[in-house]
Amino acid sequence: MKSRVILLVEDNPDDVELTLRSLKKHNISNEVVVAHDGAEALEYLFATGAYADRDPKIMPAVILLDLKLPKVDGLEVLRRLRAGERTKLLPVVVVTSSKEEQDLINSYSLGANSYVRKPVDFIQFSEAVKQLGLYWLLLNEPPPACEGE
Amino acid sequence: MNDSNLQQQLTKAQETIRELQQELEETNKGLIALNLELEQRNTELAAVNKELEAFSYSVSHDLRAPLRSMDGFSQALLEDYTGKLDKQGKNYLHRVRSAAQRMAELIDDLLALSRVTRREMKHGTVNLSALARIVAAELQQGQPERQVELVIAEGLNVNGDETLLRLVLENLLGNAWKFTSKQPKARIEFGVAQYDGKPAYYIRDDGIGFDMAYVGKLFAPFQRLHSADEFPGTGIGLATAQRIINRHGGRVWAEGAVEKGATFYFTLA
Repeated sequence: MKSRVILLVEDNPDDVELTLRSLKKHNISNEVVVAHDGAEALEYLFATGAYADRDPKIMPAVILLDLKLPKVDGLEVLRRLRAGERTKLLPVVVVTSSKEEQDLINSYSLGANSYVRKPVDFIQFSEAVKQLGLYWLLLNEPPPACEGE
Repeated sequence: MNDSNLQQQLTKAQETIRELQQELEETNKGLIALNLELEQRNTELAAVNKELEAFSYSVSHDLRAPLRSMDGFSQALLEDYTGKLDKQGKNYLHRVRSAAQRMAELIDDLLALSRVTRREMKHGTVNLSALARIVAAELQQGQPERQVELVIAEGLNVNGDETLLRLVLENLLGNAWKFTSKQPKARIEFGVAQYDGKPAYYIRDDGIGFDMAYVGKLFAPFQRLHSADEFPGTGIGLATAQRIINRHGGRVWAEGAVEKGATFYFTLA
């Protein structure tokens, strides 16, 4: 269980900090890889560019994906990973402050497994992070060939 | 009458016809030009609306992120440095959190208000009685412990935009529900009366009411007659309702007395 990795794709450094803090507070000590924009996320997932030396067989147990990202936006990241042979089954939770119905529709249409809105209220946010961590890392079974050795 | 007289009259009549024909042609040309202008304006308006929509969405999204930071790190301070903070320090941080959350509410409400203004109206027959019953049911479901007697007149059908009119009812019935919350039993009535020969729909409650001296402030955005501690809200609800009613060509007004409830009336064109 401990070897399950979370890929956090988030450009806002404050949100990254608050998410990491929440995970720690709730004793979720799994490795968190942070990608600060869509391009970095894709490089990680496809083991290219800055992550060319990464073992591509090791995949995150869940991807927490923000929608508004620089370089390549969240929906495009989703589209591309659903098209890749090794990445198409990966669980993706869209985590965004958007309340737009169109974003919901687009996310689910492109194959997101879940959609969670980021509240302004930190206590609610922290609770959401805890539930996401516990569910996707402990309860949910990730697709095979995903756990590290 | 002799021949030359008749001839003269005929010629005059023919001239008049020619003049009228020319006038008609001019008027037609003018109408075609006006129509073209109107179409162009409509296209421009649609483009502006689309831009505004994208702008509002982007603005509200970008404004919320720093609020989350303010709220989040204040809470982090409260949790991680609790030993190093005295009561006053904690109080200050609570206020920072409160303010951030309040701003988030304001952003949401402003966004909703601007949407209401820009939304294209879809006209149809709207059963206000049925809508009122749905809204009331939602209110009751949200607070099942409340004892509220709801009297809703039947068969109130009007012409208008159903989504927008539902917002009006949610606002007015929601207010009636809210401002009767401090009493053990409440009565809320939705009906129609005649005002100046036109039907005026009303929502009446027997709640906390308001001083008629302040009736002018009721519909202004963000103006409130009660503090947020007494009754939650940002003060945008009535401004939104008024904007919708105005878009329908009607008007909205209110009557009330302190501790004696309030009645909100609205007409539609």
